[in-house]
Amino acid sequence: MFSEQAAQRAHTLLSPPSANNATFARVPVATYTNSSQPFRLGERSFSRQYAHIYATRLIQMRPFLENRAQQHWGSGVGVKKLCELQPEEKCCVVGTLFKAMPLQPSILREVSEEIIPPVSAFQHNLLPQPPRSKYIHPDDELVLEDELQRIKLKGTIDVSKLVTGTVLAVFGSVRDDGKFLVEDYCFADLAPQKPAPPLDTDRFVLLVSGLGLGGGGGESLLGTQLLVDVVTGQLGDEGEQCSAAHVSRVILAGNLLSHSTQSRDSINKAKYLTKKTQAASVEAVKMLDEILLQLSASVPVDVMPGEFDPTNYTLPQQPLHPCMFPLATAYSTLQLVTNPYQATIDGVRFLGTSGQNVSDIFRYSSMEDHLEILEWTLRVRHISPTAPDTLGCYPFYKTDPFIFPECPHVYFCGNTPSFGSKIIRGPEDQTVLLVTVPDFSATQTACLVNLRSLACQPISFSGFGAEDDDLGGLGLGP
Amino acid sequence: MADQLYLENIDEFVTDQNKIVTYKWLSYTLGVHVNQAKQMLYDYVERKRKENSGAQLHVTYLVSGSLIQNGHSCHKVAVVREDKLEAVKSKLAVTASIHVYSIQKAMLKDSGPLFNTDYDILKSNLQNCSKFSAIQCAAAVPRAPAESSSSSKKFEQSHLHMSSETQANNELTTNGHGPPASKQVSQQPKGIMGMFASKAAAKTQETNKETKTEAKEVTNASAAGNKAPGKGNMMSNFFGKAAMNKFKVNLDSEQAVKEEKIVEQPTVSVTEPKLATPAGLKKSSKKAEPVKVLQKEKKRGKRVALSDDETKETENMRKKRRRIKLPESDSSEDEDSPGAYEAESPSPPPPPSPPLEPVPKTEPEPPSVKSSSGENKRKRKRVLKSKTYLDGEGCIVTEKVYESESCTDSEEELNMKTSSVHRPPAMTVKKEPREERKGPKKGTAALGKANRQVSITGFFQRK
Repeated sequence: MFSEQAAQRAHTLLSPPSANNATFARVPVATYTNSSQPFRLGERSFSRQYAHIYATRLIQMRPFLENRAQQHWGSGVGVKKLCELQPEEKCCVVGTLFKAMPLQPSILREVSEEIIPPVSAFQHNLLPQPPRSKYIHPDDELVLEDELQRIKLKGTIDVSKLVTGTVLAVFGSVRDDGKFLVEDYCFADLAPQKPAPPLDTDRFVLLVSGLGLGGGGGESLLGTQLLVDVVTGQLGDEGEQCSAAHVSRVILAGNLLSHSTQSRDSINKAKYLTKKTQAASVEAVKMLDEILLQLSASVPVDVMPGEFDPTNYTLPQQPLHPCMFPLATAYSTLQLVTNPYQATIDGVRFLGTSGQNVSDIFRYSSMEDHLEILEWTLRVRHISPTAPDTLGCYPFYKTDPFIFPECPHVYFCGNTPSFGSKIIRGPEDQTVLLVTVPDFSATQTACLVNLRSLACQPISFSGFGAEDDDLGGLGLGP
Repeated sequence: MADQLYLENIDEFVTDQNKIVTYKWLSYTLGVHVNQAKQMLYDYVERKRKENSGAQLHVTYLVSGSLIQNGHSCHKVAVVREDKLEAVKSKLAVTASIHVYSIQKAMLKDSGPLFNTDYDILKSNLQNCSKFSAIQCAAAVPRAPAESSSSSKKFEQSHLHMSSETQANNELTTNGHGPPASKQVSQQPKGIMGMFASKAAAKTQETNKETKTEAKEVTNASAAGNKAPGKGNMMSNFFGKAAMNKFKVNLDSEQAVKEEKIVEQPTVSVTEPKLATPAGLKKSSKKAEPVKVLQKEKKRGKRVALSDDETKETENMRKKRRRIKLPESDSSEDEDSPGAYEAESPSPPPPPSPPLEPVPKTEPEPPSVKSSSGENKRKRKRVLKSKTYLDGEGCIVTEKVYESESCTDSEEELNMKTSSVHRPPAMTVKKEPREERKGPKKGTAALGKANRQVSITGFFQRK
């Protein structure tokens, strides 16, 4: 791993100066292809309805699900449409899930309550609902929809875990009450994967997310500077610098700006008070430009936008505009990419998002662990099933670009509360490294992915503060 | 003896100047490799302590290594005070590196000042931030300005393709998957924007070229039909928010021009003779323009209905433009002409300058009117500058800005890069007001940088 390799060289820096100081060349880019073209939007038209995206999603996923259904329940299982169902007949149905959640915020409900307030003054609906961390409720119901009809589901199906927009195959039969009794269900599972060519030397990719510039946290600024110094080879002894030279790429996975740069206080204040105030994001973008300049002068960088970054809100988020980074765009090593982002780096396929998909599923599902949710999206073969229901999405109509066409080797999501990494296996021997990249402004931790061994090591930075006990700042503890 | 110099330097920095000397700061100041700077600091500490054990010297170290945490082997990098060094070292399973991070006279409460020191020295050395680093990247070469300008030309062409594509097959591209040109386009903006980063005159020259061709494209587009607003927005996206308003105004005003033409054509012909423009070219071109504009006019009859609203809108925007004119006119240091308003987009839009009221107003109206009144106003402020250069296509281009007299030396050979070769006179005319407008805006960039905010009372002072 990074540390062990770094420790192999002798320590030379606690000694008088020597004339020759080693300089290491950055590992050259062996192969890199950016395959995010499906996430680039050209001419955009928002005059379409969102029904088309669900229709195309079902059409694309149906063959995968029918295959899986036959694998699970035998090749003789009948796959039927909802309109063809006969009562008490066991069969398999493929459709899109819809979860009816009473707690789901609904703009229609809010508006109608303003116009016609509910009779009882003690109704909780009168008050605006505060944002909750989870919107699940024991009364949630699942409904399966296919091209023509929908049917309520009951039975052995975990209502709280599933979310709207998932395409799945259920096995069971329809009952007299009109509901479908589910005996078993399955997802499309992992897509086929091309094996990655073996590498002969260790190469690392650094994943960072949630730099949170403009947030006013001085501690995280030092951490960010230390991160940049390690990657650019300024910090550390020769061993560490040599290892850092093997970092072939840095991916910044979203939320480069802090949430506080999005404050819209100026809307509430009088115009004469706010006329000359500058948006907080302007300073933050300047800081970001300097950091990107330092990084791109030394290593290829891919910058993905995130929830709080100045780009469009709907998924797929388009790359940040290069005019915001006049200093850094002088270097061709800087690449501004979409969210989600997909690329092949030295033969290893990376796919990742800035975390909006996972955090949205977190809100509407009982799953607690972000890593678990990440794995679940891979198993469902869809990056973000809750789009467009609860997560903003562009109204696609020809294809749904969020379906996995093939399985990546490294699948990551940014801005999670903590670091996590796991290797999972698929039914056709696919191997995927899942990484949840933590929010740097809170945890001062980034991730180093070793491309040769497909392992991930967290790397964290700290300074020291007045109130720190011996090792508290480092998280080392007694 | 030469080796001892650095010891004296460090001594001076720490003791006399009471600075916080970090390895990075020392590296940039003395111009040495970072590792050498770290070794120098260590050497200094050792010697100083040997000589004088009571020396008031506080040292911070950088420790890095790995330790097992939550089941992972986590690599830690930490800046620690000297007194905590041993404790931290003992906790790490594998120690990758230890070196001196900084030396200072006073005990530091927290690591904030270290960051500030590093940040300050970095700010002053941004352009060669990896010069003394231990890792050099072969791939990281700054783009040359020439390269970026050629890529910007490619961008314009691809942009033209994109616009024609989108006009032709609107449906096909609106699924949301970008047209093939989009990839190219996405790289080109970097080229254009890269030009903002470099401060050479060449840059403004290129931006000038680019604006001209883009402006031409825009006029083409607006002539071509109802894509103009959309296109204008797309174009303006590349110029940044600050310039977008101006650009929109530009577009709107152009449209307004054409619409107003019908109404104002009598006035055009009336005003034209009034102008004291000796350049025959200008006159004839201006006559040609209204005719051609009229033709365009007929094609877009429906626009006439909007003319009222647009005039009001453009009136307001013209007022904005007026204000912009004044501070710009004060600048006399322009190498180039109208490449201006992208150069400005990074700086905030300059505040009002009303006395040049007629100048922006004339832009939508016949350029002749504008130029004359503009010239009248600008006479006292503008400096005549001319730049002759050989452009990429072998044309010698002479551009003049800020015609000081009404005797316009504004004949120019335009860059005939776009397809409007067949209409040079019309283009010339259009280019001219645009250049004039851009000229002042260019000035604003310079002036804007000098004093970013001109107060609202500037309106009155200038009068």
